Amino acid sequence: MELKTVGKSITKFDAFEKVTGEAVYIADVEFPNVLHIKVVRSSVAHGRIKTVFTEDAYKTEGVRGIITGEKIDFLAGICIYDQPPLAKDRVRYIGEPVAAVVADTIAAAEKAARLVRVDYEELPHVEDPVDAAGEKAPLIHEELGSYFHLPGFNPEPGTNIFHHYHLEKGDTEKGFKNSDVIIERTYTFPHIAHAQIEPHGAIAKWSKGKELHIYSSTQGPFIVRGALSRMFNIPNNLVRVTVPYLGGGFGGKSDLTIEPLTAYAAKFFPGRWLRLILTREEMFFGSLIGRGTHSHIKMGFTRNGKLVAADVKVHLAGGAYGDYSINIVTGTGHNATGPYEIENVNIDSFGVYTNTPLVGACRGYGHPEAHWMTERTMDIAARELKTDPVKLRLKNILKPGSENNLGQIIRKSNGDLEGAIRRAVKEIQLDKREEPDNPRFAAGKSIAALMKSPVMSTNAGSSVIIRANRDGTFHLLASHVDMGQGSVTALSQIAAETLGVPVEKIHHNRGVDTEFTPYEWQTVASSTTWKAGSAVKKAAISVLERFKAIASEVFKTTPDKLTASNERIWYGRNSISFADLAEGYVFPDGHAIAGPVIGTGSIVPQGLTYPDRKTGRGELAAEWTFGCQAAEIELDKKTGRIRVKKFVTVLDAGKIINPVMARGQVEGAVVQGIGAALNETLIYSDKGRVRNSNLTDYKIPTPEDTPDEIVTVFLETPQPGGPFGARPLAEHGIVSVAPAIANALRDATGMDFYDLPLNQDRILKALYGKGEEK
Amino acid sequence: MSIPLHIRINENSYNLQVEEDETLISLLRDRLHLTGVKEGCGNGECGACAVIADGQPVRSCIILAAEMEGKSITTIEGLTETDENGNVSLSPIQKSFIEEGAVQCGFCTPGFIIAAEALFMRNSDPGDEAVKEALSGHLCRCTGYKSIFKAIDKTVKNRYKT
Repeated sequence: MELKTVGKSITKFDAFEKVTGEAVYIADVEFPNVLHIKVVRSSVAHGRIKTVFTEDAYKTEGVRGIITGEKIDFLAGICIYDQPPLAKDRVRYIGEPVAAVVADTIAAAEKAARLVRVDYEELPHVEDPVDAAGEKAPLIHEELGSYFHLPGFNPEPGTNIFHHYHLEKGDTEKGFKNSDVIIERTYTFPHIAHAQIEPHGAIAKWSKGKELHIYSSTQGPFIVRGALSRMFNIPNNLVRVTVPYLGGGFGGKSDLTIEPLTAYAAKFFPGRWLRLILTREEMFFGSLIGRGTHSHIKMGFTRNGKLVAADVKVHLAGGAYGDYSINIVTGTGHNATGPYEIENVNIDSFGVYTNTPLVGACRGYGHPEAHWMTERTMDIAARELKTDPVKLRLKNILKPGSENNLGQIIRKSNGDLEGAIRRAVKEIQLDKREEPDNPRFAAGKSIAALMKSPVMSTNAGSSVIIRANRDGTFHLLASHVDMGQGSVTALSQIAAETLGVPVEKIHHNRGVDTEFTPYEWQTVASSTTWKAGSAVKKAAISVLERFKAIASEVFKTTPDKLTASNERIWYGRNSISFADLAEGYVFPDGHAIAGPVIGTGSIVPQGLTYPDRKTGRGELAAEWTFGCQAAEIELDKKTGRIRVKKFVTVLDAGKIINPVMARGQVEGAVVQGIGAALNETLIYSDKGRVRNSNLTDYKIPTPEDTPDEIVTVFLETPQPGGPFGARPLAEHGIVSVAPAIANALRDATGMDFYDLPLNQDRILKALYGKGEEK
Repeated sequence: MSIPLHIRINENSYNLQVEEDETLISLLRDRLHLTGVKEGCGNGECGACAVIADGQPVRSCIILAAEMEGKSITTIEGLTETDENGNVSLSPIQKSFIEEGAVQCGFCTPGFIIAAEALFMRNSDPGDEAVKEALSGHLCRCTGYKSIFKAIDKTVKNRYKT
């Protein structure tokens, strides 16, 4: 059947209000009777709070209260409950909230916050995850053994390891014994910032001492609702979370961030709205940061290039609290060896407490960390084996019938990885060499393959409601957060296609309100179009079924004799319009039947399980998307600066619902990936303070830094379980950017790099100082 | 100490009293509720707060309101036109941003559109270098910029067609 709406580049439903300035974001929401919060943050990386002096601060005009953590008797969390909303007795990173100053104006709150003095007894601190996992490291959470955690996680009390994910397949000892070439390398991926242009904010009010309403720039309104409900021991239906337009997330606004603190402070001012908007500086340590892995990989190959064994150890510097990075540990673990079939695998992935800001979800998490080591190592192995890196990959990739590390059998419908690799090679013209005329420059090209699964809870459900209106239009209600990816539009396209109506007849709610819009786990993991999209399809089908049930009463027949097309229900040559069925049918004599039509759709990812406790294997991935990226770079040997001339991404994402928006997701991810590859890193002082907490010293790509050419190709092997054959797509564009560039840099210079970012300092040092080649 | 300020904003005249340390963004957002002007950094680093002052793009977060005496300001809210029946028409650059998929989260969008509009006021046929120059210092974390360049390019081309 020909598709009318799906597959078309419908312009974004919410673009009008964004180009006119009408769209209301968290900082634009205005309330009567508002109070402002300024957070006093820890100035030491690890210590005991001796005294908090608030007398001087209290004297500031306009100050209404100063909230500290001493009375807090609960811990907040989702997967492991390890963090109080304000530090209690102990601080574990520089930037940790110690007090919330509440005042009539933000200026008064800021002035008073500067007058709060905190005395600490300093304790030894640790930032490096390998050091932190060692026996000599200062213990950051002595109470780890008493923390509640969900099944599937494995804390090691008495150490800083809050989660150890172990995966084994086959017999690695035997595998390495049978290997002719063994490559062993260590890689690091530093802490980076999401640097969403919109700072995070939350505004909360309590009523009657037991009802909480919070506005937040969150990607996970129902996650926030659940956590606050547990924290304050109030029912789910008395916590209301409202999300206005969201100015960029990339995972940094998922799970929980500033909501527990804002809600806790608001509890002391019932009936008043308390407002906390982070400053740009606070966005670098007062919310979530990303990545931060130290990885050791050992890969064994037979002489003819068969990858037969892999042993991996990953240490993730999760920050002072582990709740938000705990899933990254598992994700990095089971993705650690990339898109290859390996008979013998042993993986240990450790989430380690460090005295740094908290790591959370960050565009594609688990996958860029894993591919940084695997895709570099594959190139190195090809050299050692004296074979072509493309051939080496093709020999070992996961293909239909292959068994991945988790024990899942790859199906043809998972996508065409071989096709993606071949297409990327062709698009980048890997066989064509163009040496720069000027010897100051060196050119290089290379590829890096990729795979990604949505890392999510086993019960990450979606539900949607479709309401039919009297004029033949429809309301689509859902609680995914459209932070620019275009899910409001894509889901409307799925609804329109299924109902058989023009997309203009669908109106989708903007923003989310847990009071009115139905449950959605959260908007992460590139999963909305695929997962919530399936729920939309179900809801639209249920509307059509309802229409048919009503029409069958009118036509005095059974629903199975009826068909739907052209916005009407047909019985032979007779028909009734959707409009005339929307509120139930009214007969010519005035009597009515059935009442207003509502359709609902609910889904949960099929068959996900917790990992097996011994082997770490199981149904951890609901779906796979495969692809390949390729980079063409030019290095200025004088400045050490890399220019990405051309960047290619080929993804098999199944049916593309909206090509322009899909390309927009990939292009944005590629450029963010180039930022992480070439420039981005949080720099810590000896004391553990983030030293580059502004957009001048933490450089994200600017308009001049975008590659001359970005090529995005979609292969569209349909995914039978996804709506109209779609599978997850969005973050995939970031996954193998860094290894593609580093492989191209090796091609240009003959030098191997193992640490990110590949900034000018590092490259100049390698070119003219002590080389990095190992 | 408050200072008198005579200023035109989106074609409306205002006689105001401003504090000497009051920034232009604070005047626009907090007092006049023109929240299309976005604050991304408060430090002149991201460009989300850009407005046009007498034809020149300025960062409203690092400029004092008092410096705007006698000037005419255009914010993102001032780019649309409304006819006598209340119908809104977008400016060509706003339309191109929508059509080319140059809008994702939308938070940086007002700043980019203002930068482009200010460029067109100075230069009706800017080349690639002039466009890059005009956008330098504007940050977008969503799009990767390609679609933004396309939207500006399209607007320039359309002008010459009509």
